[in-house]
Amino acid sequence: MHVIWQNLPVILDGLRLTIQYAIVAIALMVIIGLIAALMRLSRFSVLRWISSAYVEIFRSTPLLVQLFFIVLGLPAILPVNEWFGQLMYPILAAAFTLSLNEGAYVTEIVRAGILGVDRGQKEAAASIGMNGIQTMIYIVLPQAFKRMIPPLVNQAAQTVKDTSLLAPVGIIELVYKGEIVIASTFESFKIWGLIAVLYFIIIFSVSKCASYLERRLQVDKR
Amino acid sequence: MISVKNLHKSYGENEILKGIDNHVDAREVVVVIGPSGSGKSTFLRCLNGLEEVTSGEIEIAGMKLTDPKTNIHKLRQHVGMVFQQFNLFKNLNILENITIGPRKVKKMSVEDANKVARELLAKVGLTNKESSFPDQLSGGQQQRVAIARALAMQPDVMLFDEPTSALDPEMVGEVLQVMKDLAHEGMTMVVVTHEMGFAREVGHRVIFMDGGYIVEEGKPQDIFSNPQAERTRNFLAKVL
Repeated sequence: MHVIWQNLPVILDGLRLTIQYAIVAIALMVIIGLIAALMRLSRFSVLRWISSAYVEIFRSTPLLVQLFFIVLGLPAILPVNEWFGQLMYPILAAAFTLSLNEGAYVTEIVRAGILGVDRGQKEAAASIGMNGIQTMIYIVLPQAFKRMIPPLVNQAAQTVKDTSLLAPVGIIELVYKGEIVIASTFESFKIWGLIAVLYFIIIFSVSKCASYLERRLQVDKR
Repeated sequence: MISVKNLHKSYGENEILKGIDNHVDAREVVVVIGPSGSGKSTFLRCLNGLEEVTSGEIEIAGMKLTDPKTNIHKLRQHVGMVFQQFNLFKNLNILENITIGPRKVKKMSVEDANKVARELLAKVGLTNKESSFPDQLSGGQQQRVAIARALAMQPDVMLFDEPTSALDPEMVGEVLQVMKDLAHEGMTMVVVTHEMGFAREVGHRVIFMDGGYIVEEGKPQDIFSNPQAERTRNFLAKVL
């Protein structure tokens, strides 16, 4: 126990960064996923094409490779370090790449949610003179959102776990901190155990909050 | 009020409407009857552009629907529609279902829209339901709200697409009563229905459709007691 107590501040510092990356990525993935899903369902073929290409590229390559490619590969051909600063570029690029990757999955979730709304709802909205955008905002998206909650929570949990892949590209989050502590204490069993427990606590509480929220919505708006 | 010229509608190879010509006067109540698959619902849905017309011309509420320059959203504000499955907005309560059109489409203030909505709820006999959600209401109540929702836009014409077909028998009467009241107030109505009693009692004119054509039309008493066409006689023999 002594080892854990002694190194807890360092580990918690990593946890803080993990949570920060997770929050940013979850917020961005929802925004990106919403935009890409609307593009995917647009009547303009160029937008549909861009959106499908984005989703397929990010779903068909490993996140770790995407992170290496964008965080470490891009600076070799573009002066991105000058644009964003040598310290800032990896931080921004890592957060952005993670968000884009998760956003590809959210795109599919949002698309399925929108397509799942009964056609009669859209026809009724059209029949009182609503245009496509009004129908989307006031009728379709609120209904789609409710059925999107369970898969979105799943994806948010996945995102928290995926932040661990930021360690190999040099982001000093929970896993990276753990490796640092283990390098000086050689207590790999205890430290990795502690880290697993911390991940579990975050993700478990997120899904508990989500199921509470879901029940509330079910009661309020039937 | 409505003028239809040589209306054709196809889904791919399958021609549903094979040349419909008709004219509906203001304040007229026209009832469209016919067997399933006769094209009567498709015809109705063409009238507010829910189905894209293949060829022909439609003029409704003073606007040319088939003119590509016509703003279809603008046109639909003048043409109310009631659906077989009610299609109330599931995410909105009853009051919001009625006010969303006036507020978001006609940019009416919340107070004015609520006032209009409460008057309409009183008219359809559902004053105490304004904060309920659609699936807390019976089918008959939902359909009355759907009628109020359409009326809130102050349409010039009301289209009814089999408004009682999805209802339990004991709820058909309450919906028909609201429609009768509306007819007596002088609303122009086109009603697709299997309710022959309503057609006989309220309709000014009955149209019998079969196979994508208007087979026969005329005053209800003539159509029901003295049908001219063989197909009309066969159909009425089965349903009456």
